[in-house]
Amino acid sequence: MSLPKRIIKETERLVADPAPGISAEPHEDNLRYFNVTIEGPGGSPFEHGKFKLELFLPEEYPMAPPKVRFLTKIYHPNIDKLGRICLDILKDKWSPALQIRTVLLSIQALLSAPNPDDPLATDVAKHYKENEKDAQRVSREWTQAYAA
Amino acid sequence: MASAPPALFFASSDEEGENTPLVSVDHESDLVPASSSQTPSEHTATSSLFLVASDQEEADRVPTSSPPQLAHSYAENVNDIEAQSTPHVKIVGSSAAAVSDATRNENLEEPPAKRRKHSPIVHSHAQLGASYIGDLPVDGAWSTVSGTGHVKVGDSVLIRREGSKKESSGPNTKKGNKTKKSSGGKQVSLTSMLSAKGTRFPKKVDTVVRIVNNKGSDLARLPTEIASWISKLLDFGLVEIRGTMTDCPEKLKTGMSLMVTLHIYLHPDAFKPLRMSSRDVDGGFTYNEGYETQEENFLRERKAAILKLFDAVGLRAQAGARCKGKKYSQKVEDTIGNLAQRTGGKTKKELVGDGEEIEVDSTEELSNNDLSLIYRKAQQKDTLMPLMDPAESFDLTLRGYQKQALNWMYSIEHDTRDAHLGVSMHPLWSQYIFPPEQDINTGDIDLTAEDKFFYFNPYSGELSLDVPLVEHECRGGILADVGMGKTIMISALIQTSLLLKDEFKEDKQPLVGPRQLRIEKAFRSSRRPNRRLPPSGTLIVAPASLLAQWAEEIQRSSKSNTLEVIIWHGHNRLDLDVLVNSAGDQDRMPKVVITSYGTLASEHAKTMSPLFDIYWLRIVLDEAHACKSRMSTTAKAVYDLRAKWRWAVTGTPIVNKLEDLFSLLKFLKHEPWSEYAYFRSFITLPFLARDPKAIEVVQVILENALLRREKNMLDIDGKKIVELPPKEITIEALEFSSLEKKIYDSIWLKVKRNFDQLEAKGLVGKNYTHILAMLMKLRRAVLHPDLVLEKEDSNGSSNAQPLDNPAINLEDLVKNLTSNSNGGSNVAFAEGVLANLADEDITECPICFDVMEVPTMILGCAHQCCKDCILTHIATCEEKGQQPNCFACGRGPINPSDLVEVIRKEPTNSQPSASVALRRNDVRSSTKLEALLKHLRRLKEEDPKFRAVVFSQFTSFLDLIQVMLQREGYDFCRFDGTMDVKKRSAALSAFKSPSKQPRILIISLKAGGVGLNLTTANHVFMMDCWWNAATENQAIDRVHRIGQDKTVHVTHFIISNTIEGRILQIQKRKTAIVREAFRGTRADGRADPDSIENLKIMFEEEGLRH
Repeated sequence: MSLPKRIIKETERLVADPAPGISAEPHEDNLRYFNVTIEGPGGSPFEHGKFKLELFLPEEYPMAPPKVRFLTKIYHPNIDKLGRICLDILKDKWSPALQIRTVLLSIQALLSAPNPDDPLATDVAKHYKENEKDAQRVSREWTQAYAA
Repeated sequence: MASAPPALFFASSDEEGENTPLVSVDHESDLVPASSSQTPSEHTATSSLFLVASDQEEADRVPTSSPPQLAHSYAENVNDIEAQSTPHVKIVGSSAAAVSDATRNENLEEPPAKRRKHSPIVHSHAQLGASYIGDLPVDGAWSTVSGTGHVKVGDSVLIRREGSKKESSGPNTKKGNKTKKSSGGKQVSLTSMLSAKGTRFPKKVDTVVRIVNNKGSDLARLPTEIASWISKLLDFGLVEIRGTMTDCPEKLKTGMSLMVTLHIYLHPDAFKPLRMSSRDVDGGFTYNEGYETQEENFLRERKAAILKLFDAVGLRAQAGARCKGKKYSQKVEDTIGNLAQRTGGKTKKELVGDGEEIEVDSTEELSNNDLSLIYRKAQQKDTLMPLMDPAESFDLTLRGYQKQALNWMYSIEHDTRDAHLGVSMHPLWSQYIFPPEQDINTGDIDLTAEDKFFYFNPYSGELSLDVPLVEHECRGGILADVGMGKTIMISALIQTSLLLKDEFKEDKQPLVGPRQLRIEKAFRSSRRPNRRLPPSGTLIVAPASLLAQWAEEIQRSSKSNTLEVIIWHGHNRLDLDVLVNSAGDQDRMPKVVITSYGTLASEHAKTMSPLFDIYWLRIVLDEAHACKSRMSTTAKAVYDLRAKWRWAVTGTPIVNKLEDLFSLLKFLKHEPWSEYAYFRSFITLPFLARDPKAIEVVQVILENALLRREKNMLDIDGKKIVELPPKEITIEALEFSSLEKKIYDSIWLKVKRNFDQLEAKGLVGKNYTHILAMLMKLRRAVLHPDLVLEKEDSNGSSNAQPLDNPAINLEDLVKNLTSNSNGGSNVAFAEGVLANLADEDITECPICFDVMEVPTMILGCAHQCCKDCILTHIATCEEKGQQPNCFACGRGPINPSDLVEVIRKEPTNSQPSASVALRRNDVRSSTKLEALLKHLRRLKEEDPKFRAVVFSQFTSFLDLIQVMLQREGYDFCRFDGTMDVKKRSAALSAFKSPSKQPRILIISLKAGGVGLNLTTANHVFMMDCWWNAATENQAIDRVHRIGQDKTVHVTHFIISNTIEGRILQIQKRKTAIVREAFRGTRADGRADPDSIENLKIMFEEEGLRH
């Protein structure tokens, strides 16, 4: 199956002009599969962490959103134990004008601004809502433990 | 029975050397051949005149009764056979009519004085006496005497029939009286034999054959089983038998068994032609078993007896028609083998004539290889054919091969024989070698003697010493050139070959038939007292779509006022009688009437019609395979036309089986093959029985009746006979847009599921038609989604009729934008976009990241992307139940109707700066349509006045193409089967008219795939795939043909990974498979197992890709 021009171009641009704190490299065997690293944004409990993610571009891409998942354990109200991410642009707010880069930037932004009102990991969200400081401490601990 | 054309039986004359006024004699006696070919029953009386035994007597009669039928001059003796096969090239100029019979002789070396009158199968060996053909040892001759001294071993004995000397004593027949009696054998003439059978052996047939000693007294009788046929041979005067007593006791006793050796000689009279009272016996005796005439009975017995004899003396045929070479024969047998393996009768529906559908048996279809084998023989000597210049009134220059064709046709029409240089032995005859005779005294065999041949027709029982050549009775033939300007050749023929004065005889016009009884005619006859006008009209019957082209081509090729052409079709049917017969006496201007098969068939249904009343000079059937089904009304109408000369013009005389040929031969009155029973028993049935003879017979028929050259043939100088510019075919594989792919895949899955279910239940056969219909849907789906979507699915956006004015004013758009937007930034953005619209800078589509193709803007927010991208986005959202919003700003919902296309116009001289136009998106496009438009845009850049032809097999798709071309502002014409003749011809002339604008012809493959001449164009676009490549190639040849001076570019659009790829694969395979797979429906709508199997393969292989 030939790779659509769009994916080729996106990949080229990701390599040539990477977004700060984000790297994405396509898998050798499957150019629709990307190994992604996102650095925890400064000032967030995830600072200094390097989070590994996987990103897969489905057949329908860009009409359908990419599938993205955290591989590194992370304590975040919108990311569950399996690494699944609750982010609107990855679901119903997807637009074909969005790209891998914008998706990853959005995820990076999500780390800075957790949204416990729309949780995926309910216990983490509860923790964030009831005692944000303590929750952030746990997040930092996890970052040190798993994403150092 | 007779198995050769009737003319074979004429003892015709070749005596031009001695008989100078022969030409005029010919015409004096025209009556005879006319009746022989047209009113079979009439010539019975006259025919016996020609049954002559003596050369002398015949010579005496020449002035009054020499039949004009110009037989080939056959070799005087069998050793000349070699010489005969050397082709003699003769140039026949336009004065060919004056060519004397002398030039028709193939055997010019023969001094005229030696010539004898003989028909093609007449003997010329009377002076040689009886010819030895073998010994037959007979054990068990039954002694009828007792005592000694009757005979001893080694004695010669006579073999004699009892009681056969009583010839009928009636006032009968020159023939009977003329029969030469040779010593030794009792000769019985045919006539006397017949009367004998009728009167003397009403119940019990006496077959006693006596052995008589040299003193003349009876010794013995031959044993019954041998006597049964030897008696016939003797009675019929076929043989002379000398006997030698091989073994006998000195003293005989009645009933004793004796051994005799019979030395058998064929009597010279045996080689004389047989005469029949009626041609109806042609091949018909097996079909009329309830009714066997005396003659038939006689012939059957004669044939059987001869066969017995040959068998008994061990005489074997040296060669049939395949004596030309073993290899060749082997090949024929292979072909037959291959063909016969394809068994299983299928009936299928075929379109014949103008849309007439008929069921035909599709057994024994022929592959291309088979066909080329069949044609090969007819093509063997084509390069050697002489040329002929057309009449002066013909205004074009003919190419070499066209002049050859003209010569060939002219020669046939005016019977100058050597046209095709055919010298084949008649296919129904076999060649035998006379065995060397042992010298009775010495017992030696002369090994130095040359082989002497004779010929036997195992079907009719006829014998001949001369090579029975194929006779060419009909005046006409099949012009089967492929893409070589057949129209022009026919036009040249019409101009050149006029009826010569002495060729016309009023009484040659057959005046039989109920159609002559028109009342109308009776009234009119006063107006036209002179019915003795020679026929001058040529009738051309062609498919309706080609009528105008015929008229145009004929007029174009003729100097003005040299020809009168009318199209007789539709409501415009003039009084043909007046046209064809009026000016006949003042000038000899040829008149051409062009009509369609449809008109012909409907006129045929009427009780009277001028088409069938007029005796035409010439009939030309264009695309003559239209009448290949002999049961169709078209074919029946065609058979009833009356004319002097008949031509069938077709690129495919055999469409897929040998019987296709029958109908053409029937139209041509190519006797005897125009008798179905005959054709069937000598061609169809042997073919089914894998007898190579069938193919040989067809080859020999075609050798004389068919002219077929192909573009790639070489002329005598080794050059291609037609130099055409190259043809470049590109198959452009396209990818579906995602939306189209979705639609296609959903249909595919449905079809596949359906098929799998049916297969599991074993019901594929019953639902074959249903599955074919679903396949058809798939084939439409690759063209355009609108062709398969239900009406309700395609509302709004796909409305095939575009708005009158799809253009949008820029100011309106700005107003629209500003009023819709609520924020100032939006307005600024929109204005910025609009300002930049005309910029040369090519913008990247934010969705596919490619250069925007057909840039499309969303009304309201002015965001742009490719048309296909935004449409797919909208469709995807709808499918997911989401609201389709702008991909960039999320504004929504957006509808396809909210989209506008941005069309940038390149700067032109009149308008130096690039401009931009907006157009509402009111037509749904498709991958193929866009690909076509893309090519057209490119062409326009390369050649601002290009001409292109776009083929599709679906008129519904033509509709969509038309809409797109309209939107793009192209000048286009359309040609399809729904248009009447006037509209079609208007479309064609519009397309051909000069213009500085590009022009495109959209044309349906079925209506325009054959016959048309579209050499104005040199670009061809094939929008879809037909099941067999031949049809497509024929369509391409509309453009790539004589008259084309540019390279022809063919672009074939294919969507990858769809049914089209599979069709292409099938095309590459043998087309025969395709027929089986997709036309294999039987009358009951069920398929035969082969077809189902192919269908399965289709789905399986296709399935792997999904």
